[in-house]
Amino acid sequence: MTFYEKELDRIRDVVYSNEGQINTVIGIRNYIENNYDVDLNLDVLSHMQYVSKYHLLRLFKKYYGQTPRQYLIDKRIEKAKEHLVNDMSVTETCFAVGFESLGSFSTLFKRKIGKSPAKFQKEQLSRSKIDREF
Amino acid sequence: MKVTLISIPVRDQEKALQFYTEKLGFLKKKDLPLGGGNRWLTLVSKDWQDGPELLLEPAPLHFEPSKVFQDALMEAGYPWTQFDVDDVQSEYDRLINLDVEFSVKPTEMGTVKVAVFNDTCGNNIQLVEEL
Repeated sequence: MTFYEKELDRIRDVVYSNEGQINTVIGIRNYIENNYDVDLNLDVLSHMQYVSKYHLLRLFKKYYGQTPRQYLIDKRIEKAKEHLVNDMSVTETCFAVGFESLGSFSTLFKRKIGKSPAKFQKEQLSRSKIDREF
Repeated sequence: MKVTLISIPVRDQEKALQFYTEKLGFLKKKDLPLGGGNRWLTLVSKDWQDGPELLLEPAPLHFEPSKVFQDALMEAGYPWTQFDVDDVQSEYDRLINLDVEFSVKPTEMGTVKVAVFNDTCGNNIQLVEEL
């Protein structure tokens, strides 16, 4: 057994020994993965797993390193990029990934990606056009 | 500041290029001569071509401490870095069929599944799937 394999065993014992907690957070993550496009909040998620929302928040952060809200936003932005690359309009994209306001979607997108959804889409589409032409 | 480059030390750049493109599926992005047979050689993920570039760096050939560190990591089984995949088990099956050697078979670690293979260029590389 290598030193690294021993480290994996140690980390498993120290961090991942509580199977119940792990099943709970994996269930929450899967739910977010499959329902990122609807109105999700801690109440919905905690009710689903029969745990208090504050406990859920702590558990999720403990195992995934970010809050369910942060995870959800990253998922939505990732999906929004896919839609924009596939030529979906900014407004359609906004609602398709679960945002309720175009303004908050655009602001958040710009903060995370460094450019507005419209600018991102324009760059991606012109890039694929250049790839085709050269 | 932006993170755009991840460096991996390799013993043979051409051999590494073949392994990382033909077996792992990366695409060559930049390849320019740096003199003395060395190249600035970068790759990108096929599915994320505007993502960070992977620099296959010949450091162990020219800088002894780099070689010593790389050898120590290899001997301890420690991964130099890790790549995300959607399904560790299917990627393991695919790479085993291409004669890639694994030191850690697909193993669940709480909220992730990992596996570790030898890149034949001096490094262990870990595959990770978030569960």
